[in-house]
Amino acid sequence: MERTELVIVSGFALALDRRYHAETHMWVLLTEPDRVRIGMDPLGIETSGTLAQLSFDPVGSELTAGRPFGQLEAAKFVGPLVSPVSGTVLAVNDAAAVDAGLTERDPYGSGWLIEASLSDATGELQGLLENAAEITTWFTAKLADYRRMGVIAQ
Amino acid sequence: MAAPQLSLSPAGDLAAQTSPEYLRISMASAIALRMRSGRFSRDFAFGGINVLLSYDQGCRSDCGYCGLARTRPGSYEEKSFIRVEWPLVRTDDLVERMAAFEPRLTRLCISMVTHGRAYRDTCDLTQRITERVRTPISVLVAPPTLRRERLEHLKSIGVDMIGIGLDAVTEELFATLRTEVPAGGLKWQKYWEIVTDAREIFGPWKVNVHTLVGLGETDQDLVSLFAALADRQVFSYLFCFNPEPDSRMAAQPQPSLRRWRRVQLARYLIEDAGYALERFGFDCDGGLASVRASRAAIEEVVAKGTAFTTNGCPGGDGEPGCTRPYGSYRPAEVFRDYPFAPAASDLEEIREQLLLDDIVK
Repeated sequence: MERTELVIVSGFALALDRRYHAETHMWVLLTEPDRVRIGMDPLGIETSGTLAQLSFDPVGSELTAGRPFGQLEAAKFVGPLVSPVSGTVLAVNDAAAVDAGLTERDPYGSGWLIEASLSDATGELQGLLENAAEITTWFTAKLADYRRMGVIAQ
Repeated sequence: MAAPQLSLSPAGDLAAQTSPEYLRISMASAIALRMRSGRFSRDFAFGGINVLLSYDQGCRSDCGYCGLARTRPGSYEEKSFIRVEWPLVRTDDLVERMAAFEPRLTRLCISMVTHGRAYRDTCDLTQRITERVRTPISVLVAPPTLRRERLEHLKSIGVDMIGIGLDAVTEELFATLRTEVPAGGLKWQKYWEIVTDAREIFGPWKVNVHTLVGLGETDQDLVSLFAALADRQVFSYLFCFNPEPDSRMAAQPQPSLRRWRRVQLARYLIEDAGYALERFGFDCDGGLASVRASRAAIEEVVAKGTAFTTNGCPGGDGEPGCTRPYGSYRPAEVFRDYPFAPAASDLEEIREQLLLDDIVK
């Protein structure tokens, strides 16, 4: 099995084989020319608290960038899972819906959330963070913001 | 994948990680003290820290509704209390955090469990905390471990308020759920002795009795108890039954929102607005049927919102100190008690849930 290249930022592992959406804390992995797998980045997971429940819109639902495609419930927090791209839901990760801990333990692997077709195979990926330098710069700044907000354990 | 979190659930022999050197801390408290990452769904200040004594064999009681019940399946470290995980922390680390965050803290509460070491360890913890932190301290006591002199000693070492977890509000229900159970034996009489002693020692409005709504009692049982406690200047703190998975009451539903809101309202009217028991009417099943009051007066109470906030010990400034966010409901569910003043949109929902037309003419 191919190993995912990782970079470590303040103890958080970031996979470099995929793109990141700066605001939604979702990663996007291109699996076919017009098909992606979507999951949460470790900072999105960490700042939510201990995950309790994940739920997703059903297969066939329309995805709109910036709009929810599901819900995350943690120990003391509930919030939307916001799509980084527009398209159509092709698959949902039932295993993560049953055990949200899977997404905590393996966010880049078995803890993925949904798979989707892209409405615009090129355009939807523009604006996502792609290279290692911009990913680590963004992540470092976000981490500092969250530390100031007091939502990261110290 | 995430950054390591210090001081929590330390590796090693769990049997050796017991109080007083280790404690369990509520998840909300762990977040507030930044011992765990996370946040609350709504933005509000939170400084009510709840800790729980921890022993390898757990609580020696076996209450039918409790996540810590002795015969509930699972090891003690796997058990939840009011449905959420309580991370295990080193006491010295916790006290350091309390000292570091003291300006934000509003109330500290040590929950005893029924265990032979609980009283001694509660004293030890209280002293360790009061040496470093001036935030007022409550103890939620385990009556089987106490007698009058021990309550006097708790007061002498700095405990400010005492809570008694009666939970079941009638003697019959108490017997069914807490006495006549596989490893039970708790005594209704003993709980009330401790209420009486605590009231005498700690003074008016320094003692609270926890009452759990939804165990099988009637509204009349609850409202009668609120009135009796208010007469003694003892607070009633409401808790909403929320079934713990695998407990003996796992299949019992929560009370309806309508019932819960009306009970909250009744408690407030008695304790805060001075209503007498005679102003409440009940149907033949003991359900709250009417409140003798003007609609305008009740609407004013609802609009204020305080009746629907968490009942808990106050902070040093008299404002709510222990607010237990999401303590008896999940974040995705409707707030049962609000850990902040309900907003206008919350009050709209509360009015719909109350359906005042049925009980206030």
